[in-house]
Amino acid sequence: MATNMLIPETSTDPGKLNARRSSKSPNRLAMERFMKNKMAVASVIVLLLIVAMSLAAPLLTHWNPRQVNLMIADQPPSAQHLLGTDDQGIDYLARDLYGGRADLLIGFVDMVFVMVIGIVLGGLAGYYGGWIDSIIMRFCDFMFNFPFILLIIVIVAVFNFSNIWLLICVIAFTSWPAIARLVRGLFLSLRESEYVLAAQTVGAGVWRIILKHMLPNSIGPLVVNATLLMSNLIGAEAALAIVGFGVKQPSPSWGNVLSGALNFLVLQSEPWAWIPPAFLITLTILCMNFIGDGLRDAFDPTFEK
Amino acid sequence: MGAYILRRLLGMIPMLFAITVFVFLLMHAAPGNAIDGMLNPRIQNIDQLKQHLREINGLNKPLWQQYVIWLRNFVQGNWGYSFSQHVPVRDVIGPALVNTLLLAAMAEVFILIIGVPLGIYQSRNPYGGFDNTASVVNLILFSIPYYIVGIFAIYLLAIKLPIFPSQNAVGTGPDAGTLMDHIYHALLPALSVALTSSAVYSRYTRGSMLDVARRDFTRTAYAKGLREGEVFRKHVFRNGMIPIVTQFGFDIGGLIGGAVIVENLFAYQGMGYVTLQAATTQDYNVIMATTLLIAIGVLIGNLIADILYAVVDPRIRYD
Repeated sequence: MATNMLIPETSTDPGKLNARRSSKSPNRLAMERFMKNKMAVASVIVLLLIVAMSLAAPLLTHWNPRQVNLMIADQPPSAQHLLGTDDQGIDYLARDLYGGRADLLIGFVDMVFVMVIGIVLGGLAGYYGGWIDSIIMRFCDFMFNFPFILLIIVIVAVFNFSNIWLLICVIAFTSWPAIARLVRGLFLSLRESEYVLAAQTVGAGVWRIILKHMLPNSIGPLVVNATLLMSNLIGAEAALAIVGFGVKQPSPSWGNVLSGALNFLVLQSEPWAWIPPAFLITLTILCMNFIGDGLRDAFDPTFEK
Repeated sequence: MGAYILRRLLGMIPMLFAITVFVFLLMHAAPGNAIDGMLNPRIQNIDQLKQHLREINGLNKPLWQQYVIWLRNFVQGNWGYSFSQHVPVRDVIGPALVNTLLLAAMAEVFILIIGVPLGIYQSRNPYGGFDNTASVVNLILFSIPYYIVGIFAIYLLAIKLPIFPSQNAVGTGPDAGTLMDHIYHALLPALSVALTSSAVYSRYTRGSMLDVARRDFTRTAYAKGLREGEVFRKHVFRNGMIPIVTQFGFDIGGLIGGAVIVENLFAYQGMGYVTLQAATTQDYNVIMATTLLIAIGVLIGNLIADILYAVVDPRIRYD
């Protein structure tokens, strides 16, 4: 009965009529605002170029990024090797181009993993509250006691593996608590909203409410944080590779190209070895941060930077 | 206040317990063991010897007893023996802990003297030319990973212009090991860690100050006829700093995490460097001790943050 009485009220609501006149969804409006942000759009284009560059690496260079050839080791840039070769005679340009694949793969796959774990656990904590919430949040608190980079290094050292998928799993395992906490916060406030109550009243299940009602309503902050998370993950992979705990040689990644150049001699006399990977890492992170910033402004126009 | 601190301290006990159990089990799960690695496989009757060594080291006892023994030893300062450096773990960690604390303290000072004043200045003249430029510069600085800042710092200030050392936590020569020598060596690593974070802090400070400047009590202060400087000093600044102070304590974890990488770039013998050396040589006793100490450090950092929060914000009541 109560639900029936609501219908005439909503249909005469002036806000509803306005909404019908300009029938754009909030997400559509956010996208339009995003497209007006020049920095963010430029970042999307640059980022797409970087992705295309690493995917199309075989078309851009014919050198193999793992092919050792000691006869041509430590060469300066030339027409043959545009960025010279490293101490094993591997073409630097090829390593830089192919290296993006590992970083972008880890960034993207881990972002998806972390978002899924974070949304499931944070969602359960925020939706149910009570002891489920306590357990999950205490576990997050526990994880926050270990600096993320350090924990990955320790786990990799203890189990001593060099498989990239295991590395991805370890990174995902160590970085979900921040997202879980965020999702919990969002869901705690959404739980009190009328549409969730309405969905519960008509008998919708937990996952239906979480996936169909609460998730779409928190899409803005989630997309923003997913973007920033990806930039953090790419930065973390490079940091790990620099100390030898990321993607292992001979597989190329920006981080381990950079780490190979970290000695006095190379730093001093071969800038072509370390400036390009440093630049690519920074540019990728910068683009993702600008995109994240643009998305935040787009989804929440009232947000004060 | 005293009761609050005591309660927070007691509240730390379950977390400490969880941390020690986790570290213990992690090392226990490690493949291989210290005894196998120590012995020459050609020794006669090696299995008997191994059995004997396991017994005298208590490795044949149930897991929980091993945990209790390990914990008791750890609390008593008996952290075992470093198998890669052939000295007690305490001798490895002692100087490293001092170095890392110095590095972290210097980094925090840099963050505060760069980030906070910039954020305040931006918030005093918001949306102006300087503010907008600084915001973009901040976002760019924020996006440069600290290790890349470190590499450029080495390249520019240690190689091209050799004014700072690019390696080690102490120098050689007559004044090696003095405080000035330590600071001189920690300067570049600390700056590398701090530059990125100071961008975060200035952004954060600006937001917080602008938020407070819009509050009702600020308007009331102006309405009372207080001068601009007075409103800022007594109302905006005091309230605007509350989140910054809290953030400060929470940052200790991130600072140490970042220090792992930067310490290795600069071969700066801190906790991160020692952990990494131990990780590459599978020196589990050292890894256990550093991981545990760092986790406890983060826990204490969070405690300090909570206490500071209670000190600077008397509105918060804890009963």
